[in-house]
Amino acid sequence: MSTRLWLGIALAVLLVLPLVLPVFFLVLAIEIAIVALFATSFNLLMGYGGMVSFGHAAYFALGAYTAALLVKKAGVPMLLALPVAPVVAGLAALGFGYFIVRLTHTYFAMLSLAFGQIVYTIIFKWTPLTGGDNGLLNVWPPAFLRSQIAYYYFTLVVVGLSLLALHAIVSSPFGYALRAIRENPRRARYIGVNVRRHQLYAFALSGVFSGIAGGIFAFYNGSVFPDFAYFNKSFEPLVVVLLGGMQSFLGPLAGAFGFKVLEWLISKWAPIYWPLFLGAVVIAVIVVLPRGFVGLAEGWRWRARPATGK
Amino acid sequence: MDTITGLFPWITNGPLLAVQVLSGLSVGMFLFLVSVGMSLIFGVTRIVNLAHGSFYMVGAYLMVSLMEVLPDRPWAFWLALLVAPLGVAALGAVIEMTLLRLIYHRDPLMQLIMTFGLLLVIGTLVLLVWGPDNKSVSRPDILAGSVKVFGQPFPSYYLLVLGLAPATAIALWLVFYRTRWGMLIRAATVDREMLGALGVNVAALYTQVFAFGSWLAGFGGALAAPTVAVALGMDADVLTTAFVVVVVGGLGSFAGSFISALLVGELQSFGILVFPAISIVLIFALMAVVLIVRPWGLLGRPEE
Repeated sequence: MSTRLWLGIALAVLLVLPLVLPVFFLVLAIEIAIVALFATSFNLLMGYGGMVSFGHAAYFALGAYTAALLVKKAGVPMLLALPVAPVVAGLAALGFGYFIVRLTHTYFAMLSLAFGQIVYTIIFKWTPLTGGDNGLLNVWPPAFLRSQIAYYYFTLVVVGLSLLALHAIVSSPFGYALRAIRENPRRARYIGVNVRRHQLYAFALSGVFSGIAGGIFAFYNGSVFPDFAYFNKSFEPLVVVLLGGMQSFLGPLAGAFGFKVLEWLISKWAPIYWPLFLGAVVIAVIVVLPRGFVGLAEGWRWRARPATGK
Repeated sequence: MDTITGLFPWITNGPLLAVQVLSGLSVGMFLFLVSVGMSLIFGVTRIVNLAHGSFYMVGAYLMVSLMEVLPDRPWAFWLALLVAPLGVAALGAVIEMTLLRLIYHRDPLMQLIMTFGLLLVIGTLVLLVWGPDNKSVSRPDILAGSVKVFGQPFPSYYLLVLGLAPATAIALWLVFYRTRWGMLIRAATVDREMLGALGVNVAALYTQVFAFGSWLAGFGGALAAPTVAVALGMDADVLTTAFVVVVVGGLGSFAGSFISALLVGELQSFGILVFPAISIVLIFALMAVVLIVRPWGLLGRPEE
């Protein structure tokens, strides 16, 4: 019950935010929401499935490019183009995932990186369709979503519904089977779980939600670039999940908030230090804070409780 | 046949083909120096070092600085080529002793992310030290020109590369298979705990191996400096390619790295000729095929 209460308060705060916050912070809030969705979809693999993709930017970019291309080249209205983004990203994830989930650990990460770089190169080189290095410009939402406040609410609704769907997925029998596979694949198979199929579906679902994040980012940004698919971008959800903590559903949300606020502060102060700072934070988190911000908070709560004795 | 020669007129041009093969070989040699170090480090420490491209980049930048500092004499280049990789080895040793040592017992994933953090940190530090502009290193006078190979001009500096890299490969083989230290390294790739139990100082061995792997990357970077624009971003470029080489050859396999470096070098060299637009895709496609058909690489061992 208290969780619901907190969620209700958070929702209320998010809804009245545009009334009190300057436009700049709304823009930041939109970015946080999109990164949070991208990272949560990534965490379905990493946190729940124990699978680490190094090429997840590919599905984000496929979502962004699908939506942008439909609007720019085919003249499809944005609200019809957007639902196609997760379909294309999900199908690509299903196709690539078929091969990727056959591997484990390091090799899994590397094959996902290889497919990611292939997607990047195709986007980068297929200039007649994708605009190559110049990307696709002027990808704006229709007039009624053009203002930052309108797009903020739109993002809030889409990201909110997606997060609810992801939460339903991880709370379903499928989600528990996925955790079982993470903990012990051999035992999971022994009790009758089809390990590869579960992993493949998780991979595809993760691609679907990354595609949604990419799609809404395209219209927020007003343009799409090949960089969206580059392997540096693939590390973004990884760092966010790491910061927030992968053991909890809300971890990536906390991570996205911390990541974006830090990025904003540092980019304002000295943009060239951002990668240095990001790298240093990643190293520090791994060394001293293996469970992320959420782990830290839980640690405090646990310590605050009186010892029960055993 | 007519259509093939029509599409690819160079296919009947023997000398051009030969030069293309040679330039592919020299690309492969740089790749070998970087990837064999990466593979060696993985073999012993089980860490896939994403900062390995950064060591290559630092090697090239140190070469730039040394050439500026040293007097303009013929021996300056050779001295710089000797000193720059040593600087990189020292950097590698410091990183191993201060950071990597803390995470050997951790999840491989955390190790990967840690080395990615190093990639970001080193990249920014290089930007702060050397600035954003591209640098260049001039070739030593005796290797500045070009020689005729089958009537085609071929830069003579690449002859040095074609000579030095196989020499390095042979030296490495001798080190691995004919010295006590090499035997310890091979033993560490098989069973680290047993090695420790037999009284070998495994921690020191790890530092040495990491420094040696860094030296190889730094040597590759220093040697490559006169052939490329020394620029930020060369870390990521060489990392992705070296990554493919290591995976295709088999993580931890010395001979695999050599064969696969040559393969990838030739693929790049001919890829640009045949499919200029998608030559980069070719090597990733190669990696994908190898990982699907033979996930442990051409000469690697299957994962346990």
